[in-house]
Amino acid sequence: MKQILKIVKSDNPIFVLMLGLCSSLAVTTKVENAFLMGLCVIIVLLFSEIIASIIKKLVPDNVKIPVYIVIIGTFVTILEIILDKYIHSLYEALSIYLPLIVVNCIVLGRVLSVASKSNLKTSIKDSLGIGLGYTISLLAISLVREIIGSNSITLIDSLSEITGFKLVVNVFPKNNLIPMSFVSSPAGAFIILGILMALFKKVGTKNESN
Amino acid sequence: MGPFMRSDNKTDKMMHTLIIALIPIVLFSEYKNGIIPYMENKTDIIGLCYPLIVVILGMLTTYLTELIVTKITKQKSYYSYIPGLFIALVLPLNTPIEIFLLACVLGIIVGKMLYGGFGNNIFNPALIGCLFVLTAYSSIITSNGGYLNSYEVDAISHATPLSNISSTIGSYDTLVKPYGNLWNFFLGFIPGAPGETCSLLCLIGLIYLVKKEVIKVKIPLTYISTVFILTLIIGLMNGLGIWYPCFQVLSGGLLFGSIFMATDPVTSPVTGFGQILYGLCLGILTVTFRYLTPYPEGVLTSILIMNMLVFILDKIGVRNSNYNKKKIISLLVIFISMIGIIFAINNSFKKNNDENFNIISKTTKNNVTTYIATQKSFRGPIKAEIKIKKNKVISYEVLESSDEYINKVINMNYLDDLMVDPNVDTISGATRSSTALKQLIINVMKDSGIYEE
Repeated sequence: MKQILKIVKSDNPIFVLMLGLCSSLAVTTKVENAFLMGLCVIIVLLFSEIIASIIKKLVPDNVKIPVYIVIIGTFVTILEIILDKYIHSLYEALSIYLPLIVVNCIVLGRVLSVASKSNLKTSIKDSLGIGLGYTISLLAISLVREIIGSNSITLIDSLSEITGFKLVVNVFPKNNLIPMSFVSSPAGAFIILGILMALFKKVGTKNESN
Repeated sequence: MGPFMRSDNKTDKMMHTLIIALIPIVLFSEYKNGIIPYMENKTDIIGLCYPLIVVILGMLTTYLTELIVTKITKQKSYYSYIPGLFIALVLPLNTPIEIFLLACVLGIIVGKMLYGGFGNNIFNPALIGCLFVLTAYSSIITSNGGYLNSYEVDAISHATPLSNISSTIGSYDTLVKPYGNLWNFFLGFIPGAPGETCSLLCLIGLIYLVKKEVIKVKIPLTYISTVFILTLIIGLMNGLGIWYPCFQVLSGGLLFGSIFMATDPVTSPVTGFGQILYGLCLGILTVTFRYLTPYPEGVLTSILIMNMLVFILDKIGVRNSNYNKKKIISLLVIFISMIGIIFAINNSFKKNNDENFNIISKTTKNNVTTYIATQKSFRGPIKAEIKIKKNKVISYEVLESSDEYINKVINMNYLDDLMVDPNVDTISGATRSSTALKQLIINVMKDSGIYEE
């Protein structure tokens, strides 16, 4: 557990490694979408790294990437079909970014650099750490973006097909400054990402010096 | 501060001269936006002092913000009241006060302190604050009254002069007539941001700054003359007289922006040739923004874009062995882009009527012809159903539109007069959405043979 948390802090895919920024900017307009996207990535990453580390001795070096892409693609497709069948509104909310997990550089990067070289235990820890780091980063970005950009926190909306109720919280009373539609746009997402990245660095270095 | 500044005294003198040059403009804004409406009984005692309050509040906010930030980062604070003054003069008068304060805070923090304080900022801090607010909150500012002061709301009922140029080049009657004559533009009695309406005071400020030798005079001169020449050519190609370039130069924030904003000592080129290139590029960009984008005013955006390129322009302007070669190439590039832009703008007027209009279906039943047609507007296509009976439009209904303003247009019954007589220009100065709807109906009328130009 301690190792996983260390990966979340030192190898955070968004704030430190800066991988998978495209999808992270696109899906973070709602807290719920961010959370579920993170969950999808954790699942795909976990299974891909497990399979990759099991078959690492069977795969020759020069066909590594095609083989790993096939593995990742398989899991993404399975996930896609399940979501389409059971939580269709979520499937539509994540739209193109769900199949694009295949080429998300976090998954391929970690499979290539970690899972193909280390044993099963390390791979599982790594995938959980990276996936958790990704989810936490997405949650942080989406929380700021949704509160400022749409003046709400959407906790359960697409998932209401399963739970049967919706949970959307309005944060501020009516005023002129908020919602600031600029923050919901991709340019605003970049600015929020930059500010959070700076904060993350600041807090991280402070803890280390202590 | 760059190596070109020899002592702090010179910077001090420069900033004091700048403030003195701006004082008449602030007083005029107070007269036009405070005293005149009060004399006409259009506003109360708060409205009387409001323009001055905004200026003081802006200066105070930027000063305090920088004070707090410099206390945290242990830097020194320099001239932090000036961005607030500029923001107060550039933002529309009716900007809600909290949005105005946000512009001040963001301008100082994002535009100045994040880059390392005075002397290190790439962008003009005041313009960063203004641009952010104008893009993020434009709808709130417009619904709050926009650029019009409380006297103008009743007297003029038009948007700012430049917003009348949309899909057509316009004429003297639509562009200048609603505001009196060109003298009103020169003296400043037209709607606009507090600082930018009075061209006369801007020019007096320019002369004063030149006399005190604290301004890079090449920038405003090349900037204004570029806009003048480009619009003169565009006007002549469309058969408009010498008033047209004068209108373009006098309206909007061109004079204010070129004299006080583009010459900002930190964010403009230091080499002589670099300054000329800077002015030329600013002129081209401003004309492009005014004609080829849906936004009426381009001075603010042009200055911010060119702020990014100052480094390159200064590299071109440094005298070394390649100086003449670089000079010729850069001037050639600018000349070619000028010609290209003139033709692009001219073409945008010509094709306007035909390509954007499309008839989807046309059915005739009991003497009533029903058209379903689309017209492209700036915010996407408008689809409408129009019924014509005995050479008259009897009804219209908008079926689809991605435009949030279209319902406002329909509610205002703009087009009722148009149905009777299409030659009546009922909606000069209205929004772009209504222009597109009007164009759609006129195109349908042309198709059915009712309306001939």
